[in-house]
Amino acid sequence: MRDKVKQILADNYPEIDFESSNELVDDGILDSLTMVGIISALSMEFGVFLPYEDILPENFNSIDAMVELLEKYV
Amino acid sequence: MTYNSLQFILFFAIFLILYLLMPRVRLRQTVILVGNVVFYKLASGFNMLAVLVGTSLVIYVTGRIIEHIYADYETKKEGLNPKEAAALFAGYKKHAKKFLLLAFLVILGILLYVKIGKLLGFKEVGRITGLLKPKRVLIPLGLSYYTFSGIGYLLDIYWKKAKCEHDYFKLLVCMTYFPHIVQGPIGRYDKLMKQFGELPGFSYERVCFGCQRMLWGLFKKMVVADRLALFTGAVFAAPAQFAGFEIFLAALLCTVELYADFSGCMDIVIGAAETMGVTLDENFRRPFFSKSAAEFWRRWHITLGTWFKDYVYMPIAMSPRFMKKAVNIRKKRGNRAGQIFSSAIPLAIVWLLTGLWHGTGADYVAWGCYWGTIIILATILAPDFKKLTERLHINTESFGFQLFRMTRTLLLFAVGRMLTVTGSLTGFAQLVSGLFKEHRVWTLFDGSLDGHGLDYKNFCVAVVGILLIWISDMLGEHMRIRETLAKQPLPLRWFVYYGGIVLVLIFGMYGAAFDASSFVYGGF
Repeated sequence: MRDKVKQILADNYPEIDFESSNELVDDGILDSLTMVGIISALSMEFGVFLPYEDILPENFNSIDAMVELLEKYV
Repeated sequence: MTYNSLQFILFFAIFLILYLLMPRVRLRQTVILVGNVVFYKLASGFNMLAVLVGTSLVIYVTGRIIEHIYADYETKKEGLNPKEAAALFAGYKKHAKKFLLLAFLVILGILLYVKIGKLLGFKEVGRITGLLKPKRVLIPLGLSYYTFSGIGYLLDIYWKKAKCEHDYFKLLVCMTYFPHIVQGPIGRYDKLMKQFGELPGFSYERVCFGCQRMLWGLFKKMVVADRLALFTGAVFAAPAQFAGFEIFLAALLCTVELYADFSGCMDIVIGAAETMGVTLDENFRRPFFSKSAAEFWRRWHITLGTWFKDYVYMPIAMSPRFMKKAVNIRKKRGNRAGQIFSSAIPLAIVWLLTGLWHGTGADYVAWGCYWGTIIILATILAPDFKKLTERLHINTESFGFQLFRMTRTLLLFAVGRMLTVTGSLTGFAQLVSGLFKEHRVWTLFDGSLDGHGLDYKNFCVAVVGILLIWISDMLGEHMRIRETLAKQPLPLRWFVYYGGIVLVLIFGMYGAAFDASSFVYGGF
């Protein structure tokens, strides 16, 4: 799943290096607009809708965190 | 009583001495609550306080009910896999939502009644009993601010992003906290209450830093903002009498005036809280260095922007129904169309609501639409702008281009300010038509500007004040000013401190004619 998530992120946001940090949100690399776009892309690919209570910076700070979150619902 | 009045300074001095003498956290909390009540009484009256206390009770009870509902879920989810737990939680969330909506009906109802009442010209009353008569409205001090913080707190509990406070006393201290009650910052109650649970004892450095910050705020407000207000007030009170350069100058200066006024107030209240060991959220981060409208709103009135992002923008964008729609658009029309849809609709709603938060008149609705349109278009057209700058071989990292972007953002802000500053769209139309009627550049040299509230000497003082704010902001981009100053030799430090006090005492604007007492954002 990690490779697939990485590919989706690279396709949608080629200008962002998602492996550059484990604090993507806290470092300001991902803003709310980008997060919405990422969630939308992941929802489309995996057919899941993440509840708002799970939309926390710590769940989007790294690819691994996103994968962990998705695995809860896929 | 406003934060820049002598009455407040005396109140705060007595309060701070008492507060710092208290040996235990509970006693410090009690002194804060007493201080809050005294401040509220002096600033607006006990009747307004009753509305605030009533609201705090609604928030406290609702928070506890939601917590109780979720506690039941926690016991029943044992042994379930994440998917089953999520399905079970959905039912509990639905149940909790009923209580949440009921609380919103009460606390948002008060805000809406006041906003609509003001729009319809209801008579303002000072006592709750006055509301028994038709077409009357009571406007509690800081209503918009504590309503928003309260809603945020309940939503955080509902989304399980914050823990519910069990100690009503602490919630009440937090909600009525006098440094943030009038103009914000719109803080998160859960974070603030955590600080109230650990109020530290006396620290020389903290008290010193807090007082410095308050002094800097007083300088911005009384030396710069109130001085500029003399000129801008004269122009915007009778826009038809002015033209060209006069209006252009007033529009530019009123952006600086608003910044000095609002950020000055934030410096005073954040400094006051700092002396008590409480860290309030920053509301400004040198906004005039912003290179785009979106960046500007991440640096200006930060806590309001964050509130709208967390409690309006993201919940809309993340709602399953909206997300399904966005996914469908992505599938049918491609990623970019999906991204545009995902951002444009929530942004449009956020900006309409931001306009309405500031005021219910047509001017503020237009102001919200103005900013919404700019930010949505900038988001949609960002890839095209990038291509264009590449095709034109523009070095977007060059100083010249950065300066162009900063100037453009400032001008956009000035136009937005012109929309609301006269109080009506007719006034805005007069300003725009006057702007292009004749240039009147000579008014800068022939002394005729002196006749519009601000004489030459005061104009020079204002310019020096603006320069000092600008230098401070410039330095603040790269260093921690107060910490650097604290490391300087004692004579230099005290020269700066006393210099600041003397500057405010000598050049501060006083007296009823200047109406120096009110803050622009105090009326929301």
